Amino acid sequence: MARKILRINMGALSFAYEEVPGKWAKWGGRGLTSVIVADEVDPTCHPLGPNNKLVIAPGWVSGAPAAPSSGRTSFGGKSPLTGGIKESNSGGISAQKIAKLGLAAIIIEGVPEKGKWYTLAITKDGVSFDSADDILGKGMYEVDEILWKKFSNEPAVIGIGQAGEKKLSNAGISVNDPENKPGRYAGRGGLGAVMGARGIKAIVVDDTDGPGVEVANMDLFKTGRKKLTDAIMSHDLTKPGGGLNLYGTNVLMNIINEAGGLPTRNFSAGQFEGASLISGEMVAEMVEKRGGGMTGHGCHAGCIIKCSNIYPDEKGDALVSCVEYETAWALGANCGIDDLDYVAQMTYQCNDLGLDSIEAGNTIAIAMEGGALEFGDKVGALGLFDEIRKMSPLGRILGQGVEATAKAYGVHRVPTVKGQSMPAYEPRAIKGIGVTYATTPMGADHTAGYTIAPEIAGVSGKVDPLTDEGKAALSLTFQAATAFIDSTGYCLFIAFPILDIETGFAGMVESVAGVMGLEADGIDAIEMGKEILKVERNFNKQAGFTSADDRLPEFMRYEKLPPHDVVWTMPDEDLDEVFAWMD
Amino acid sequence: MRTISHSLQYKFMPTINVTLYGDIAHYGSGKHIAIMDLDLPEDAVIDTLLQEISLPSTERGYLFVNAVLYDAPGLYASRNELLQEGAHIGIFSIRHMWPYQYRDGIRMSDSLKAAMEESGPMQNTYRKT
Ligand code: SF4
Repeated sequence: MARKILRINMGALSFAYEEVPGKWAKWGGRGLTSVIVADEVDPTCHPLGPNNKLVIAPGWVSGAPAAPSSGRTSFGGKSPLTGGIKESNSGGISAQKIAKLGLAAIIIEGVPEKGKWYTLAITKDGVSFDSADDILGKGMYEVDEILWKKFSNEPAVIGIGQAGEKKLSNAGISVNDPENKPGRYAGRGGLGAVMGARGIKAIVVDDTDGPGVEVANMDLFKTGRKKLTDAIMSHDLTKPGGGLNLYGTNVLMNIINEAGGLPTRNFSAGQFEGASLISGEMVAEMVEKRGGGMTGHGCHAGCIIKCSNIYPDEKGDALVSCVEYETAWALGANCGIDDLDYVAQMTYQCNDLGLDSIEAGNTIAIAMEGGALEFGDKVGALGLFDEIRKMSPLGRILGQGVEATAKAYGVHRVPTVKGQSMPAYEPRAIKGIGVTYATTPMGADHTAGYTIAPEIAGVSGKVDPLTDEGKAALSLTFQAATAFIDSTGYCLFIAFPILDIETGFAGMVESVAGVMGLEADGIDAIEMGKEILKVERNFNKQAGFTSADDRLPEFMRYEKLPPHDVVWTMPDEDLDEVFAWMD
Repeated sequence: MRTISHSLQYKFMPTINVTLYGDIAHYGSGKHIAIMDLDLPEDAVIDTLLQEISLPSTERGYLFVNAVLYDAPGLYASRNELLQEGAHIGIFSIRHMWPYQYRDGIRMSDSLKAAMEESGPMQNTYRKT
């Protein structure tokens, strides 16, 4: 059965299945959410108004038999945080279930009668619209539990916490993991508020007896799958017992700190003296010492890398999954907090309230800079989540993210691009990432320009990593490659084995081609990625973005970052080069 | 995390601070992280340090001296670099990932720059997997 579009209208409380139009047929994941948003959403609409849409799409290979580490679900719409197009993707158990229902994408449009909230249940028979009164006002831990009791077959639960209900710009969308806990988030950009604006508290997806994923060329798919699986299983970083499996993404904390690129105390230094205490190595020590948690946890069935963890509390009971690098940095180093137990408790609060932890940590750091708390005040920082839970005026400001909070507290050192705050890499020390922060259509985003084989992309050896020269071309290549991987459904962490092992890259392409019924040599990952970027940039242009929005914050140009005492030096013209090919 | 002080009997001994990250921490009696203060001979280079702690070069990944990258997995650019009194050395296991985009533009030693020019600067790892 060919993939279908499921269109849900929240005004009429109706749904319909549609053929995938030819112009969308070649896309999956991010590529598909972005082309749908570009085609169907007025770029000038209010993100929370009736004319925005929420689009959900699994990647090409999600749900295909034993495709390794391929459970990414893309969420798209116009972002209330940036005012531009947004794609944010998540792990968890939703992608495979949506794909196995034969769905290429779910488009949610319209708004219900004011004050009405719904739980949508999507099965092979269609969509039911249940009242969400039983879960309204509740955090995601309780929501997931209630919905697994209410619905059979351990479905995927896509939901919003209180932050999304109140349409706060830092609201993310939660997806449950195999243990039915929240913590897999399409966090960035406030898409939880877009879901809330459609009157949806949760979407339950049950793929029982669904048609499954059609694989057009099973032989090619299997050949590719084997090559990719072998590459993942043999690479030092991704194999069982490898860096990601042992320490998760938080394996980066100490490296970035040693390099002097770890944003500390609201981007005022590049090294944090307490970094090792909140690192992946320390998470592993805690898990071993306390019991009750685990490292090497998979966020969905079929992940063979398993970078996730379950962090235990002092009594040895599972507290939260997952303390990953961005989270530990945002709620730790960037707030001057070196206590992993507090970082874990704040992560729990983010998961429960439905907040993006990167934006939340940056927001607390801004509040600290503004004098609300001292840097390092872990008790005070944890207490700020109570304000959001109570929806006090302060809580509502904090829930709007960094820029709103900076205005409220009169802070001028604001680490954002296009309204979205920066992740855990200091662009003054790590120059290449700064180009991507500045120019990606998504707002400051680290995954937007993920590493991919520069050799394969044909730029090997042409770029000196120590100068500003050539970084524009490289950033474009990275952004394009990332847009492609975000469309496959594969986790971005396959980038390591496909970078270092040639057959791994070939395997990734062949497995995609096998599912889609294309020739493997007919897929040009970079060109397809560029097509996606072009669609996204054009949307932003029509929404009013100009080259002035492709800039890093002013303070980074004049404030020296210790320990290397560097400032951001990239000329504006070079930043404009990244997308000059579009003009 | 394990913190130890280790004193060898040399005449003019620069004291350096070393942190070992990952499974190589056992060379400093730690499990995942080991922090050590070491006294080394006056003319000690990085190779001297690695020998003192018996860390095989095949298990050594990224290596930093005072927040400057001195070596990468599979390269041996730093072995003859002199160690100064009070230096901090951070050494990672080969299993530690560091995506290219997160290191593009960071500070590197001259010897590493030269080695990378020869080997091509874009590799994720220089170790054959
Ligand atoms: S590697 Fe990590 S983030 Fe990626 S799919 Fe596996 S558990 Fe999820």
